Amino acid sequence: MATAVKVDGYGFERPEDFDFETYEEFMSRYLSVLVRRAKKWEQLFGSSPLEDHLKRSSKVKRYTRKGIPGDKRALVWMTMSGALARMQANPGVYQRLLEAPTHDDPVIDAIRTDIHRTFPENVFFVDAPEGQRVPLFNVLVAFARRRPDVGYCQGLNFVAGMLLLVVKDEERSFWLLDAFVGGVVPTGYYTPAMTGLRTDTRVLAELVRARWPDVDATMRREGATFDLVATKWFVCAYVDVLPVETLLRIWDSLFYEGAKVVFRVAVTMVARQRARVAAARGLADVVSAFRVAIDDPANTFAHDFMADVFRVPGSFPMATIDKLREQCERAVLEEDR
Amino acid sequence: MAGRGTAQRPNGAGAAGKICQFKLVLLGESAVGKSSLVLRFVKGQFHEYQESTIGAAFLTQTVCLDDLTVKFEIWDTAGQERYHSLAPMYYRGAQAAIVVYDITTQDTFSRAKTWVKELQRQASPNIVIALAGNKADLANGRMVEFDEAQAYSEENGLLFMETSAKTAMNVNDIFLAIAKKLPKNDQAGGGAVGQGGSGSRRLDEGGAGSQGSTGKCCK
Ligand SMILES: Nc1nc2c(ncn2[C@@H]2O[C@H](COP(=O)(O)OP(=O)(O)OP(=O)(O)O)[C@@H](O)[C@H]2O)c(=O)[nH]1
Ligand SMILES: [Mg+2]
Repeated sequence: MATAVKVDGYGFERPEDFDFETYEEFMSRYLSVLVRRAKKWEQLFGSSPLEDHLKRSSKVKRYTRKGIPGDKRALVWMTMSGALARMQANPGVYQRLLEAPTHDDPVIDAIRTDIHRTFPENVFFVDAPEGQRVPLFNVLVAFARRRPDVGYCQGLNFVAGMLLLVVKDEERSFWLLDAFVGGVVPTGYYTPAMTGLRTDTRVLAELVRARWPDVDATMRREGATFDLVATKWFVCAYVDVLPVETLLRIWDSLFYEGAKVVFRVAVTMVARQRARVAAARGLADVVSAFRVAIDDPANTFAHDFMADVFRVPGSFPMATIDKLREQCERAVLEEDR
Repeated sequence: MAGRGTAQRPNGAGAAGKICQFKLVLLGESAVGKSSLVLRFVKGQFHEYQESTIGAAFLTQTVCLDDLTVKFEIWDTAGQERYHSLAPMYYRGAQAAIVVYDITTQDTFSRAKTWVKELQRQASPNIVIALAGNKADLANGRMVEFDEAQAYSEENGLLFMETSAKTAMNVNDIFLAIAKKLPKNDQAGGGAVGQGGSGSRRLDEGGAGSQGSTGKCCK
């Protein structure tokens, strides 16, 4: 057992200081939750086509918020995001995107550079012979060709890598990545100007300011902005930021409810470290407070974490987010001029 | 925040001496070894496969110069061009910058020159800039001549060293050279600070601190 648990179910090596006790405690409770969820989803999967079942409904929303069972996750994500429909409507497209040669192309060179720099510690990637990294390369190359306006943006390597670990199929991962960039997250996250990303870090600042003026005041005083501390949260949608179980639960809702889930998680993490951030002295102190937010062992408790995510930030009307986005985007564009 | 004094307390890195705090930013093309240089400097480690940096990483490290303790607050930025729009945030208010290129790729040297230009135009006027020609251990794949980079550095008033994060060559030295060159008065932004970050490590190898005093210290 000692060696078996050094690596989690998704191939990630656990850090040396990994808190097994906390994790065991979490898993012993979480397993029974998973069994209950599995039964419910089994019923949902029961009869007619899955698409019909996954139509927007409060029931499915409730179900996804409580977690999609691991064995159904890939299919449910594919269905909810529209990736499955698009894959079926575009037979052979993925293979054709990979036909052109891959040399003498700076975009592809950039991808190549990052292949070994994606989850270098993950056994599915690292122990693998050279060939097994090819799926990640292929998915990113195909995506760059399908979306030349985006090409390759660092961070997508982590998103695509995670998709591959969950879906375990190249073509499906590709279509999911396509759906992810093209619809799940807002436009302009990964494009060269990154306008959407810079907009959303500012939206987060506004959301925080409205809730906790003390946090906002400290951050302003110390010159700490959310693009300084939280860019990776948004670019990677928490991959390589939060523990895998928790991440997958976030993505369950992300694929169903869309990008505002990213804000909910961010606001929840700030809420949990509110006192620490507010009391910080100096930029380094603010930054370490956010580091604590990420490294908090409590983040391992996926179920409790998600319960907080849907409770702590309070109501989250899309209209508010849209309005803030409009306002913040104007500021970003102004800055670029 | 520059120059803000907080409770003064020796952080174990030096004797009773003064503590100066400086903000340092690393810039340069993706995969030239920025994160590796920082990892070597702060933790004494090297990873053959270092994860790509998204956004930026923040680390601290302390070095000793005689009776003076210099605490670096290091921003290790993402190298890909599209993260460029975030860069000003990191170099704004920085007292020092290390611009890194990879001696085995000419492109990364051109990119480094662009960074230097941008810093000279947009960063604070007395920023100390160092140029690091990294991956010096790969000398048989060299595409950028030492003399060329040195001549360029002299013209532009930069500190220059070839470094290797892999072998540790010149890594501590380049940070120490920067520490020595930084003005140590309050106005320059070096502030007395409180606790040392978790990465504090005494650096006294390589003749560090053996040279004469660097002048005034911060109060
Ligand atoms: N041989 C050799 N390899 C190095 C050296 N420094 C870094 N590398 C390797 O070069 C690759 C990139 O290094 P990083 O430190 O991640 O580069 P970076 O500049 O931080 O890249 P970004 O985060 O993408 O901007 C890694 O695989 C390192 O192992 C060096 O001095 N010698
Ligand atoms: Mg890096």
